[in-house]
Amino acid sequence: MTRVLSWLLSALAIGAFGFLLCVFLFQSGPVWQSEGTRYITGVSWFYRQHVFGALSLIYGSLAVTAVALLLAGPLGLGAAVFLSEYLPQNARLALKIPLELLAGIPSVVFGLLGIALLRDWVYRTFAKFDPLSGDTLLTAGILLAVMILPTMVSLFDDALRSVSGAQRRAARALGLTRAETIWNIVLPQASRGIASAFLLSVGRALGETVAVFLVIGRQDNNLPHPWYSPAPLLEAGQTLTTKLGGAETNIAFGDPLHWAAIMGLGVLLLVLTAGATCLGTLGRRRHA
Amino acid sequence: MFENIPCKNIVLETLNLEVQVRERTILQNISLQVASGEILGIIGPSGAGKSTLLRCFNRLSELTPGLRVRGEVRLMGSSIYAPELDVNVLRARVGMLFQEPVVFPVDIRENVLFGARRLRKLSKGEQDELVESKLREVALWEEVRDRLKQPAAKLSVGQQQRLCLARTLAVRPEVLLMDEPTSALDPRSTSAIEELLLEMKSRHSIVLVTHNLRQARQISDRVAVVCLRNGVGQIVEQGDSAAVFNAPSAPEFRDYLGQASGM
Amino acid sequence: MRRGLDIVMGCVAGGCLLACLTISTGLVWSIARRGWGALSFSFFTEQIALVGASGGIFWNLVGTTVLLSTAFLACAPLAVSLALMERVWLRSESMKKALRLGLYTANGLPSIVFGLFGFLVFVQWCGWGKSWLAGGLVLAMSMLPTVTLVVLERMAAIPQRYIAAATGLGLSQSQVAWAVLLKQSWGGLISGSLLGLARAAGETAPIMFTATIFAGVTFPKGVVENPVLTLPYHIFILAQDSFAAGVETKMWGTALVLLGLVFSMSVAALPSRLYLHEESDV
Repeated sequence: MTRVLSWLLSALAIGAFGFLLCVFLFQSGPVWQSEGTRYITGVSWFYRQHVFGALSLIYGSLAVTAVALLLAGPLGLGAAVFLSEYLPQNARLALKIPLELLAGIPSVVFGLLGIALLRDWVYRTFAKFDPLSGDTLLTAGILLAVMILPTMVSLFDDALRSVSGAQRRAARALGLTRAETIWNIVLPQASRGIASAFLLSVGRALGETVAVFLVIGRQDNNLPHPWYSPAPLLEAGQTLTTKLGGAETNIAFGDPLHWAAIMGLGVLLLVLTAGATCLGTLGRRRHA
Repeated sequence: MFENIPCKNIVLETLNLEVQVRERTILQNISLQVASGEILGIIGPSGAGKSTLLRCFNRLSELTPGLRVRGEVRLMGSSIYAPELDVNVLRARVGMLFQEPVVFPVDIRENVLFGARRLRKLSKGEQDELVESKLREVALWEEVRDRLKQPAAKLSVGQQQRLCLARTLAVRPEVLLMDEPTSALDPRSTSAIEELLLEMKSRHSIVLVTHNLRQARQISDRVAVVCLRNGVGQIVEQGDSAAVFNAPSAPEFRDYLGQASGM
Repeated sequence: MRRGLDIVMGCVAGGCLLACLTISTGLVWSIARRGWGALSFSFFTEQIALVGASGGIFWNLVGTTVLLSTAFLACAPLAVSLALMERVWLRSESMKKALRLGLYTANGLPSIVFGLFGFLVFVQWCGWGKSWLAGGLVLAMSMLPTVTLVVLERMAAIPQRYIAAATGLGLSQSQVAWAVLLKQSWGGLISGSLLGLARAAGETAPIMFTATIFAGVTFPKGVVENPVLTLPYHIFILAQDSFAAGVETKMWGTALVLLGLVFSMSVAALPSRLYLHEESDV
């Protein structure tokens, strides 16, 4: 009886997720037919005229994620190195708790904090670049960095801890300093875990909706020229998730092509996040 | 138990060493000396604290939180706890070989140079020379000379242990600490290492912790026996190797010999 | 020189940790400072008035509770089944690995995707309109991977000898599942659910299109066209308006209450999570 029930319920669970994937794929069909590759490479998104180019959305998502990783990565790695290499076990576990609490702050509350603390700060600090307001890609990126920081620290710490103690002892016994041991033994041997941590964090950052929504300005069609210069980060933008979370989703339902375009964004988001998370998971050395 | 060694240089010595782990004393009253050109064997049952004792000599004990060491340890007459002393330099002067060979996940050449290149800048020529001379010293050169750039992990366990020895020798230690260096090896590799130790002892004094009584008897010049007495590890007997083995007097040691007679 | 680099690395790493801890505590302090003034008995027991400028969040608390309870009830049996599937019923190692990989991947999916799915299937196709049930089911889906993974890890930590002993006594696989695995992993289900619920409590994206509105309802009376008020959506809407005088404090007060809810659930899940951590820390 248990066996039958387990199989049924598991099938239900897996089926639901499979159904989700199918729904997104099929519902987005029309826009792929209508736009083809221009859907991904096209810069303009004007739903009334049925022009659907998602490139500036993809740019927004990637830009915000890149800023977040650039800020949170080194900081998180430094913190993890200290936790793993300098602190005894008790202190490590004790200090991980406040960091875990940071991870628990809900997205919408982070959005509030972004509005209250970051917005004006960005506006004032970068005044010489003449931003229109404090709602920019950079603001969203900084906020996202704080949001993914505790996860990154935790993942980095796991990666560092997976390096065996025997390696560290052998290096110290040779006369290497702690810093030399960390630099030459621990970090290189943890590199796969560290890369996985980055990938997993990419997945997490790409999927963030509400916090980014509140501070990004939600401006469409803002693909800067050239795309790699820093000043455009100070403009308002839009990501895949903020577009989906906005008013357009409700409006789109009546119009099959518009709805297909929205669903298509969902497909892109699914592919990107699932891909990053999957690769990141494969790279991690799981404990037992 | 304290024995004076006349007319020889004392390289390493401890006076009344005591080691505690979180309020519990695990080693007490440890006083011994290692003279230059000799192999000191440290034997005794497991759990007596031999490995912990060894780690006191290069201050590797400091890597274990909660371990407290009291007493004198002197290398070439000066205390290893002197504040001006750089502990990393100490660890280069007092090298250590572990029970399980720990090769770094790089190629053979890099392994040998790993410690040495931190000590001073070496030109490529000097590096090659160092690698060859140390590998020759551990009788590994002929076996690996054409695969120096291959990962060290591909070597057999016996070869890996000799590589670790070469790596340690490359930083020019005065004393070598060996923590059961052959217990993970097959008999052939074991005797290869034992031959090396006998050959090397004139250049580096050696402290050898071993479970293998035949080994202790055959290659050590002097022997210190560490057994549990009243729940604390202590030196129950010490002296010339042949003398100690032929006429064991301490009761704990006689028990251990009786139990270990299978070896 | 080597000594110098050694000290520098220690300082830099320590500085990073200090920065992280400062950010962490500083943010929580910010929220507490701004929202503390709004907390009072009436805040918890009254409903909102004047578009959030006065009144309390009573029905928001009720709504969030409704959603979370539904999510838990829908999710728990599925999570346990999936965990049992991996531990007991699935034979081949590659299928087990595939299931685990699938769980970890699903765990990383953005919650807005679940929201869109729920909007399409429940709100539109099933014709429920905005409904608490739609929200609960969507939240259940989004927390399913988390809960399953915790239950799975807890089951995997049960020493093999218990299972061997039970099987040796002649118990069938089903009986082993009940007698040994499930009995020993209730704790895992509770802590995994608390973890999943803590995350779900703060989620806005999955419920914005499917289950929640800003004002005007109390307790749901049926399934169709029965949305609820919730804490995160309340904050979300207020955050997008300019800060009128009374609104700001109440908005932060709601945030503080939500934070407290999330934290208490996370803390309740902590002992078993630390236990799991210890297990895997060799």
